[in-house]
Amino acid sequence: MSISSFDSRIPDPLTGLVGGIGGTPARQGGIFRATGNTLGGDFYLALLARGSAGIVLLMLATLVPVLAIAAVPSIRGFGAGFLRTTRWSPEHEAQKRDPRTGFLVHDEDGEVIKKTVPGVFGALPVIYGTVVSSALALLFAVPVSLGAALFLVRIGPWLTASISIISFLIEFLAAIPSIAYGIWGLFVVAPFLQNHLEPPLNNFFGHVPFLRFLHTDGQPIGRDMFNAGLILAIMILPIITAISRDVLRSVPRVQIEGTQALGATWWQSSWAMLRYGRSGLFGAVMLGLARAAGETMAVAMVIGNAIQIHSSIFRSAQTMSSLIANEFAEASTDMHRSALIEVALILLMMSLAFNVVARYLVVGRHSRAGGA
Amino acid sequence: MELTAYDAYSRGKSTIMFGLCVLSTGAILAALGLVVGYLISIGYKSVDVAFFTQAPVPPGGVGYPGGMLNGIVGTAILIGLASAVGIPIGLLAGVYLAEYSSNSWMASPVRFIADVLTGVPSIVVGILGYELLVVPLSHHYNGWAGAVALAFIMIPLVARTTEEMLLLVPRSYREASVALGATKARTILKVVLPAATGSVITGVMLAIARVAGETAPLLFTALGSRFIETNPNHPFPSLTVQIYRKAMEPYKEENRQAWAGILVLLLLIFVLNLMVRLAASPLLRGRHPRR
Repeated sequence: MSISSFDSRIPDPLTGLVGGIGGTPARQGGIFRATGNTLGGDFYLALLARGSAGIVLLMLATLVPVLAIAAVPSIRGFGAGFLRTTRWSPEHEAQKRDPRTGFLVHDEDGEVIKKTVPGVFGALPVIYGTVVSSALALLFAVPVSLGAALFLVRIGPWLTASISIISFLIEFLAAIPSIAYGIWGLFVVAPFLQNHLEPPLNNFFGHVPFLRFLHTDGQPIGRDMFNAGLILAIMILPIITAISRDVLRSVPRVQIEGTQALGATWWQSSWAMLRYGRSGLFGAVMLGLARAAGETMAVAMVIGNAIQIHSSIFRSAQTMSSLIANEFAEASTDMHRSALIEVALILLMMSLAFNVVARYLVVGRHSRAGGA
Repeated sequence: MELTAYDAYSRGKSTIMFGLCVLSTGAILAALGLVVGYLISIGYKSVDVAFFTQAPVPPGGVGYPGGMLNGIVGTAILIGLASAVGIPIGLLAGVYLAEYSSNSWMASPVRFIADVLTGVPSIVVGILGYELLVVPLSHHYNGWAGAVALAFIMIPLVARTTEEMLLLVPRSYREASVALGATKARTILKVVLPAATGSVITGVMLAIARVAGETAPLLFTALGSRFIETNPNHPFPSLTVQIYRKAMEPYKEENRQAWAGILVLLLLIFVLNLMVRLAASPLLRGRHPRR
């Protein structure tokens, strides 16, 4: 027996492996004689673990093609125009009107003649809805989250007893299901906006040029883009805060001490900290953005479900995910369903892109595991 | 940036920003208080015995509006089914990442994809469930599709937390085990996993808490049902979908059911989370135990 084959019996201290995956075959007189009968188990556990890891790969490898194939009729039917068209109207029956006079057309019995209007599907309004509601959410959430992250990292340690409670509460905020936020938005925020915020805004901004986007341009309803942005902001606060906190915590002490030695105020050294961790913080914001863009139930409950592009943020709208939640189960034609799946595919690609960039920024630079 | 300007302006600005940071934290806690406080205040007035003992009664029926027993049973069964699929696969994938992945091409793609999958919008997962398990069964909504969609969400969560927790087990445990002649499988099953049991269960419970609150993936897989259902071949009720439907109804009696439901769901998730935090000190101590 050569030296090298003797060596192969010694487990690699890093992996605990003996002679590669599955272990070496039991050898007469070897050090594994006593446990030789379990080497089969070694093989099966390795197989199961690899198989399960393979399933994780398979999950993504299934998700994308399945959606893409189901979206083919819509992609064929509408092409690139799908992204530009602002009309979303499923196939429906309409009363026939005379094209010249505009009067209803009747048959011999005096019944109104109905005709079937084929579905037209364009995703632009819902893409707009997703973009604007997510942007509003970031606008509200990012400053608050960064402030709270700084608090947890720089002020929190002074209050050692309460810091883990605050952390727990913020993480509990992340665990609240989205319908809970939806119910709050529907029964608390919407009436408040409708009765207390929007009427004065209307009076105030109704005639101010350039600020019409702060004006409801009609009856206040409370279930609108602003409400959705607010609810989304609350929902993404925890994730941005938690990851920003981790990023800030990983800023080397020397950096902070250096600024303080130079006479920096509390804010100046905090600012240096934010600058140092900016790529990770950007990643945290991207993860929040991905969460906001994909959020479904809460938005479906508060955004008012109107497929339109309106300049005011106090008007009802619709996002990609809430559109799917609202229409998918009721979609009666294959084309309607396919169009919804194409919307889902766009949403999936967007969120994959956000996630990949964010993970790269957060995980790539700070730790292999990352925060959330 | 000028760091030497230790003047009144800088000090004033610093004080203001300090105050804003405190305020931000206060704002988050206030948001939590407002949301949870409101849900509790409307929920506890709406919970009654019927909520836990009856299925919904349609308007005009005896005992209207009934309760949500069907949703509670449905969610429990869906979670059970999803766990039966998702937990073993997630655990084994976690074991792979922690124990088998060195020198393997598969390791970092698996880790990365598991991370990315946790960010996939859950409504998209619902569509996957629909395409895979509803369309082939002649468009018949069923409980299996819902359970699979939930499992899809669970697997990456369980895999990543399991990996994290297994890596917390000191390497010396593994070395000691191997030195005593144990095989790799025996080391993992008898030494590493037992040492990490508490924290692995933590990860599993967090994943359960997460899927217990999911609505979107169930909307067009399990769909929902007014009846107490135990056969997953049929459209299947769940607490969350029922809460959503009832909240969107224009009638106050139906809304009250939703409020009661959300309180029960919140309590469930809070208790799960609290148990997790109390049981798992590694999570409490910090999020980067390996640095």
